[in-house]
Amino acid sequence: MSPPGPSSDAHPIGHGATGQDAWFFCLRILGGRYAFEAPLVVEVVRLGPLTRLPAAPAFLPGVFTHRGEVLPVLDIGQLVGQGTIAIRASTRAAVVHCGPWKLAVISDGLEGLVVIPHRHLEPPPAESSGMAEFLSGVARDRQGTIAVLDLPRLVEAARSRAVPAGSAGA
Amino acid sequence: MNEHVNELLMFQIGARVFASTVRDVVRIGNVAEAAPGTLIEGTSLGATFARERGVVVAGEAAGTEATLVVDQVLGVRSVPDSQLLPLPAFVTAVIPASAVSGLVLLEDAPTLVVDLPALVRERLAAPPAHPPPPHATA
Repeated sequence: MSPPGPSSDAHPIGHGATGQDAWFFCLRILGGRYAFEAPLVVEVVRLGPLTRLPAAPAFLPGVFTHRGEVLPVLDIGQLVGQGTIAIRASTRAAVVHCGPWKLAVISDGLEGLVVIPHRHLEPPPAESSGMAEFLSGVARDRQGTIAVLDLPRLVEAARSRAVPAGSAGA
Repeated sequence: MNEHVNELLMFQIGARVFASTVRDVVRIGNVAEAAPGTLIEGTSLGATFARERGVVVAGEAAGTEATLVVDQVLGVRSVPDSQLLPLPAFVTAVIPASAVSGLVLLEDAPTLVVDLPALVRERLAAPPAHPPPPHATA
């Protein structure tokens, strides 16, 4: 399954996507619209049966197999302490590459690609808690506000928060 | 060329099924017959409900044994290397001391492969993650 096409409320392909625009992948998490850089997304897949891992942090609800590859699932809602994203049979995930890690980001719904002109990107709010800590910007389109996540920083925070200080590895 | 085949012991703790390599298992025993102080339960694999069977493995010290309390032993599966998958790098980074060494694809469902010696070490080093029920005897 490939990433869904650009949102019709954003700039459709051919009308946007110039050097002045940035592509983002938009999803809904716990009532909010969030996006991260589209090139991070490898594909969108339907979540297979989840295998839970012993002693895993809450933001890592399990792993599943996709085309013979085991993918860890990341619950961003849990990671930022805003609640658990419900996993259903219909749940889809965005498979992303963040540095050395490949993981599946779950959400309440995937909107797909949106194009946001750079000039429409605003700085994130000054808050430093919850999701706000990981925002790199805020934008608006006809469907409302989109909070742009710094996904690599968020994934790195997940890794460092889960590993106790002084632990080997990683 | 024939693919290498791994013998995996399948066992159940609570509602979940796990696998471990047969060569780590000394024998299958009865929990009631285990020597006092040798039972391993309340591990990160979850809580047992029946406590009927024990998977006996070599203990930390030479000549000693430890018995992992399980609910059922489901048998042995012969699994080719191609069905054994490593844990994703992100998982090993987030859970560095996990007693889970990988996964095995059985009927396309990923089942956790448990490193039994590591599980014994983990349990001896930490208090139970899932304390046994009050009626349980060690």
